[in-house]
Amino acid sequence: MRDTRNYDAIVVGAGVNGLVAAAYLAKAGLRVLVAEARNKLGGHCETAAIADGFNAPISAHTLYAFDPELLEELKLGKQGLVFAVRDMPLIVPDAGTAPIVLGRDMRAAARSIAPYSQADAKAYPEYRQQLFSLARRMRTIWWNDGKLDLRANDSRVLEKLRQWSVFAWLDSWFETNALKAALAFDAMAGSPLEPGSALALLWRASQEMCGLQGAAALPRGGPGALVQAIAAAAQNAGVEIRTGVPVTRIHIQGDIVCGVELARGDMISAPIVISSLPARRTILELADGANLDIAARRRFDRRFGETAAAKVLFAVNGLPPRLATLASGRIVVAEGMEGLVVAHGQARAGDLPDDLAMELIIPTFADPTLAPPGQHIVSVLVRPVPLAAAGWSELKGLLVERTVLAIERVAPGFAKYISAFKLVTPEDMEAVYGAGACAAVSADRMLLPWKARVGTGTKGLYLCGASVEPMDAVSGRAGRITASMILMNRKS
Amino acid sequence: MSETRATPFHARTAVLNRHNRWHNRNGWTFASDYGDAHFEALAARNSAIVADISWRWRIEIEGAQAAELLSRLMTKDVSRLEPGNALKALWLSDQGGVRGAGVVARFGRNAFVLAASTPDIEWIGLAASQFDVAMRDVSGEEGGIALIGPYVGAVLKAAGLEANLDALAFRKVFWRGLDVTVTRWGEQNGYEIWCRNDDALTVWDRIAKSGVGYALVPAGLTATDILDLERGVMRPGRDYQAAQLGSDAHPTPLSLGLEQLIDERHSRFNGRAAWLASRASEKMRFVGVEIDSETPPAKFSSMIHEERPVGRVTAAVFSPALRKAIALVQIDVAASVPGTLLKIALPPDEHGDEQATGRIVELPFLPPPAAI
Repeated sequence: MRDTRNYDAIVVGAGVNGLVAAAYLAKAGLRVLVAEARNKLGGHCETAAIADGFNAPISAHTLYAFDPELLEELKLGKQGLVFAVRDMPLIVPDAGTAPIVLGRDMRAAARSIAPYSQADAKAYPEYRQQLFSLARRMRTIWWNDGKLDLRANDSRVLEKLRQWSVFAWLDSWFETNALKAALAFDAMAGSPLEPGSALALLWRASQEMCGLQGAAALPRGGPGALVQAIAAAAQNAGVEIRTGVPVTRIHIQGDIVCGVELARGDMISAPIVISSLPARRTILELADGANLDIAARRRFDRRFGETAAAKVLFAVNGLPPRLATLASGRIVVAEGMEGLVVAHGQARAGDLPDDLAMELIIPTFADPTLAPPGQHIVSVLVRPVPLAAAGWSELKGLLVERTVLAIERVAPGFAKYISAFKLVTPEDMEAVYGAGACAAVSADRMLLPWKARVGTGTKGLYLCGASVEPMDAVSGRAGRITASMILMNRKS
Repeated sequence: MSETRATPFHARTAVLNRHNRWHNRNGWTFASDYGDAHFEALAARNSAIVADISWRWRIEIEGAQAAELLSRLMTKDVSRLEPGNALKALWLSDQGGVRGAGVVARFGRNAFVLAASTPDIEWIGLAASQFDVAMRDVSGEEGGIALIGPYVGAVLKAAGLEANLDALAFRKVFWRGLDVTVTRWGEQNGYEIWCRNDDALTVWDRIAKSGVGYALVPAGLTATDILDLERGVMRPGRDYQAAQLGSDAHPTPLSLGLEQLIDERHSRFNGRAAWLASRASEKMRFVGVEIDSETPPAKFSSMIHEERPVGRVTAAVFSPALRKAIALVQIDVAASVPGTLLKIALPPDEHGDEQATGRIVELPFLPPPAAI
C-alpha cells in the first residue's frame, strides 16, 4: 500500500535527536513525519514506573550535554521544561574516611582532596582550569560545524589529549587512585588505555547545562520531561509523529534516497530521510549497505571489542545515613584506575567485571514528584558491562548482587531499604531503543567535522542519532546540525 | 611472506639456470634467465617458450554472494560471466585509484578464482568480509607454467593435451593421470597449465619432452617481462605504484592507460563515481615510446618535448624483436599524439650527457606471438 500523503522529510526514530531535527525542519516550512517503532517517544531519554509510585530514569539519568541553543530556539521552557537540579557535584565516596566532593567551589574541592594528597589538592583547580579553558575553545567544532582556532599552548594540550589515554592523562596530574578512577568514569565508553580516550574528558568539560560549564543537571519529572517538551515544540511547528510504526527498510534508487517502508508494508516516499538510529543499523540493516563503497562501508562495519552500560534502578523506602549525606551528588564507585582497566578487559571478554564501576544518583533528593513521600529512587549506571552476545540471562542475577554489594560497601545497610528494583541490561536497551553498545571513544570520531559524520554518500539520506555525536549522549545537537545542513543543501 | 620459497618447478629450473641468476617475485624465487634473456624473448616469437609463473597470486572465492562481491569489486560485470570463462578487469579504491588488475575466472555458479600479478589481500579481504563468501589464498598450493609462442599448440598436441581454447577460456583436464587446469588467461596469446604442487615436475617433464621437436626453451622472468612490455602490459608494483588506501584517488585508470579494462555499462563497481569524474579531468596518459638507442633509459627519466619536460619513463627495456629500446611513458595529454618526437636523457654513467630521441607510438609495440 502506498501512502498518498506527501512529506518533504521522514525522520526514523523519535529519539531526542530525531525530534529536534524534525522540529527544526518543520519550523523551516517542511512537511515532516516522525516514525517511531515504540509507543513512546524519546528513546534512551525515558522516565517510566519501576514500581507503584516510583518513576525512574530508565536509561540516561542525568543531562550533561544538552544543547543550550536548543533550549532557547525551541523555547523548551515555555513547553514546561524545568530543571530540578542545575549541577550535581562529583562525589568519590570510598577514598578513605571522608568522601571527596568535587563541586563548583574549587577551594572546597581542594579541601576535600587535601586529606589524601596535598599535591592533588593543589593540582585539581589547575587541572580543571586547563581542561575547561581548552574545552570552551573546542565548542566551535563540538557545538557547531565550525573550525578550530587554538592558541599554540592549547594546540599542544589538545595534541596530548588525542594521543594519550585517559589513564596516562590523569596519572600525569594526580596520585590519589580513587580520585583518578572517579574522574576517569566519564570516559569509560571504551578502554581507559586507548589513545585518545582522554578526549572524552575534554568533550564532557566543553558541555554546559543551565549556564554552568561541565555540569550534570536533572529535569523535573526525569528525562522524560525533556522529551515531552521537545515533542510539544515539534508538534507546534507542524511535525506529524506516528508511534508504533517500525521502519523496516530505507529505499534507495541509484544513489538517491526515495522513502521508507513500514513494518506493515506501507511505503512512504520522501526526498529526505533522516535516521536517528545508530549509523550501523541505519546503513547496514535498513538501507542494505546504501551502495557504499568498500572502504567507506568499513566505517560502519567494525564492531569488535565493544562494551556496554547497564542500569539498575532501586525503589527504596528510605536512605541509609551515609547515602543520605551524599545524595545531592553523582556518586562514582570504582576500584581504582587498575580496577577500571580490569573491568573493561572482563567486559570486553564477555564476563561481568568482578569489581563493577558505577555512577549513583538519587533524583528524588531534588525532585520528590518521582516517588512517594519519604521514599527514594536510586539510579545506578553500571559501566562497563559486557555486551554478552550469548544473552544476558545468566548475568542478570550476578549484576544485581554485585551492584548491591558495591553500594553496601559505601552505604552499609542499603539492602534493607530496597522495596523493588528494575534491571535494564544492554540486551534490553538494544531491544527497546535499538542501541545497546557504548561506542568507544575515538579521536577520529571526535575530531571529524560534523559533515563527515552526518552525511551518508546517498543523496537525501542523513544520520542524526547519538552515534554521529562526538560521543554518545543526550544532546540534541546532531539533530539540530543535521537539520541545518539539510536546509543549507536545499537552498543551494 | 617472511621467507623466499622455491616454486614446485625449482628442481628443474635450478638445473637449467646455468649462470645461477635468480630473482624474487611475490615471495618465490625464479630464474632471471637461462643464459640469454633476449634469445628467450625472441624464441617466444619464433618457436616456443615455457616459463614458471607460480608467482601469480591466486585466490578462490566461493559462496552465495561470490558473483555479487566480484561484480562490486571489479570494473566488469562478473555476474554475467559464463562458467569456463574469465575476464580481465581492475579493482579500484573508493576514490577511483587503481589498486590492482587481474583475471576473474568462473569455475561454477558460486565458485571463482581471482588471479593477479600482485597480491592485495588487504583490500580483497576487506571486500569479502562484507559479503557472504569464503575466500582462500591458493597461491602456494599449485604451480603454473606459461607456454608462449607460435608452436605451443603443437607442443600441447604432442603432449596429449589438446585444449583448443578461445582467449580467456579455461578447462579442467584429466591429463594422463593428472588433474590440471589449462587456461588462456595470459597476455601473450599462449596457454597456462596449473597443477598441484606434487604433480609439477611431471608436468614440466612431459612438456619439455614433447617440446623438443619444436625448439621449446625455458624462459626466465627477464624474458617474460620483455614480452609484457612489448605488449604494453603494466603491472602494479613493477610499473606503477598502486593505490594504497581506500581513499586514494591515484593512479587513475586513464593515467595508466587501463581504461579498456573498465566496462562502461557496468553500473555498480567500487569507485565508479570517482572514475567518471577523473575521466573528465585527467591530464596524464600512458603511451609507448620507441627509442633510437639500444640502451633503455632509466626509470623516471624525463621526456623532453620542445625544451619542456612532458612525461617520465615508468618502465623501459631493450626489445630484441624491435632491436631498440622501448619505454612506457606517462605523459601530458597535450603531448601524447602518436608520432611526436621526444628527447630522453640516457643513464649518465655510460653515456655522459648523451641524449636519445624517441617517437610516440600506439600501444602495443608488438602484437602477441602469433599461433601457427
